[in-house]
Amino acid sequence: MFRHSVVIGSVCTAIVLAYVASPIGASDSITGVVKVTGLASSADAVVYIQQAPGSFTPAKPAQMDQRQMQFVPHVLPIVAGTTVKFLNGDPTPHNVFSPDNEKYNLGTWPQGQSKDYTFNKCAKTPCVYTQLCRVHPEMEGYVVVLQNPFFAVTNKEGHYQIDNVPPGSYTLAVWHEKAKAQPKPVIVEASKPTTVDFVLGR
Amino acid sequence: MTRLERTRRVVAGAVLVCLALAVTESTALAVPAFARKYQTSCQTCHIVFPKLNAFGEAFRLRGYRMPAETEEMVKEPPVSLGAPAYKRLWPQAVWPGAISSHTPLAVNVKLADVNTSSLNEDGTVTSVKNDLQFPQEVNVFGAGTLGDHVSYLSEITFGEGSDGSVAVELEHASIHFDSPFGPEDLFHFRLGKFAPNLADGFQEMWISTDAGIDSLFNYNPIGFNGGTGLGADAVSPNPISLPTLVRGIEAYGIIRHRALWVAGIANGVGPGSNDTTGRFDGNNAKDVYARFDYKIGGMGFDGDMGGHPIPDKNWQDNSLRLGVFAYRGDASGINFPFTTDSGLMTNIQDVHFQRTGIYASLFTGDLNVFSVYLHGSDSLQVFDAGTAALLSTGVPDYHAWFTQADYLLYPWLQAGLRYETVTPADRSVPTLKTGVANLSALIRANVKAMVEYQRDLRQGKNHSLNAVLRFAF
Ligand SMILES: [Cu+2]
Repeated sequence: MFRHSVVIGSVCTAIVLAYVASPIGASDSITGVVKVTGLASSADAVVYIQQAPGSFTPAKPAQMDQRQMQFVPHVLPIVAGTTVKFLNGDPTPHNVFSPDNEKYNLGTWPQGQSKDYTFNKCAKTPCVYTQLCRVHPEMEGYVVVLQNPFFAVTNKEGHYQIDNVPPGSYTLAVWHEKAKAQPKPVIVEASKPTTVDFVLGR
Repeated sequence: MTRLERTRRVVAGAVLVCLALAVTESTALAVPAFARKYQTSCQTCHIVFPKLNAFGEAFRLRGYRMPAETEEMVKEPPVSLGAPAYKRLWPQAVWPGAISSHTPLAVNVKLADVNTSSLNEDGTVTSVKNDLQFPQEVNVFGAGTLGDHVSYLSEITFGEGSDGSVAVELEHASIHFDSPFGPEDLFHFRLGKFAPNLADGFQEMWISTDAGIDSLFNYNPIGFNGGTGLGADAVSPNPISLPTLVRGIEAYGIIRHRALWVAGIANGVGPGSNDTTGRFDGNNAKDVYARFDYKIGGMGFDGDMGGHPIPDKNWQDNSLRLGVFAYRGDASGINFPFTTDSGLMTNIQDVHFQRTGIYASLFTGDLNVFSVYLHGSDSLQVFDAGTAALLSTGVPDYHAWFTQADYLLYPWLQAGLRYETVTPADRSVPTLKTGVANLSALIRANVKAMVEYQRDLRQGKNHSLNAVLRFAF
């Protein structure tokens, strides 16, 4: 019962927000709110279309920095085949490796330098690569490899917005490092904003 | 020599390895106050705590500052005790300082299951099984920086006696002036009570075993014919071995990333427990010490990599570090009561003594082998305790060395082996040889479990097997 009211509440909020935000939101966008239950922040959830027709080539390289002994951004979604430039913005050396999928270790390098890695070995999207630093075991970040560029990362309040989605019917899924939710079907119509909200639990 | 006499010699020489193990507490520095301040893991600075990796050593030498530390790296912003602009107003204003916003305390608790076997003078063996010393000791640390160029470290150790009494020891209390002038890291000073930067920064750097390196730090030079073995902690006034802690002033610095120099002045031997003057120094003379070492390969002493490739595994630091050190002490006028075998009561003075050593530390992959050779000489004067007549003088010398190999089987599991030996000045006592085998496991980043076996290789009836659980928070 409680959960229902939360969902209804979020939906109402989203409707109000969508209404308010409608001049900004592109007509073929998907927007919504992701609520991560039990966490202080609803940030860093990746909302994405599971499968879109056609093949997608990455437009430009993405970047993940290491700053103040943290991976920035904490979560980086990319299209399969994208090259990620791993920077080090700290005066202390950092290392980048991932224990996931094909596993890689890019080495350790000082401030101002960077290393590239191309994510082209993901057999079945999404492929989640946890980013770790051997030098500082507390550091953690994620690269999420997806099939298409129709994705967005939530902000602290859980808002997300996916733009320029071609009309069609899709399955909208969400990935979060600590929480889960069932994917939802979504129909995107031309010149019509679509709103999908998620409630994530453990 | 009869069997009993031989036993006596061995016992006198060793004063029991196991006893020494129980008596000498190694300073165990693992300071989670820094982990909190930077919100970083223990593994940023430690291999298996308290053993430091190269970065941790640089952090320590730089006055608990990260190499090239920026303000944003400190995740707990300090409380300002004056705006920076007040520096321009000096001397019309107090120079600004800073303190940490949270109380920078850390605690280290040690639980030990102690099993010892030791040979007595009459040839019998005393054994202790599963003495659950829960806890054996608790250390409370305070550490941090006080704005630019000032840092501090304090450590108080609490131990509980079997009668419920609590023994408190002030192990560290020092203020450091880090690079107060001149090029960065070339001059540092510290004042207080601290582990001198004498033999490789002492336990913080090296000790990954439960037992201290007694051959080096626990030799007792007092004896009618020179020292007979270990146990300096048990004699009064104070140990005259190579000191693990001093009260004094130390200057040190890093030259071109690769060389480390140290020069210090210490109070030296205290006046003894029956002194009522309140002094800490037993005489007016000061002890002096110095050290120089050079590191080839790996990370520089200040954290500089000099463009070398940086290993991903931050416990690795393929390098060779070589050093020389010397300590010169003066304990003239300080009486050590000593009763000879024939029952003659004497007072022995160590008028001056010298300790010189060389050491090497090799890191290759997951292996670290380090070794120290120490030579000591003591100018002893033996006085009749009753008449104060000078009975004899002599300059006996002793030597000691140890080699330890630490191998990291996994980032959380380390095996260590140490062989140590002391040839006491009294050559009628056979050379003391001790072996230590240790297995240490980090069951969490800040929880360490270890099993350690120590054996007197000369007299197999002296041995111990201890299981230790240590946690820091
Ligand atoms: Cu790092």
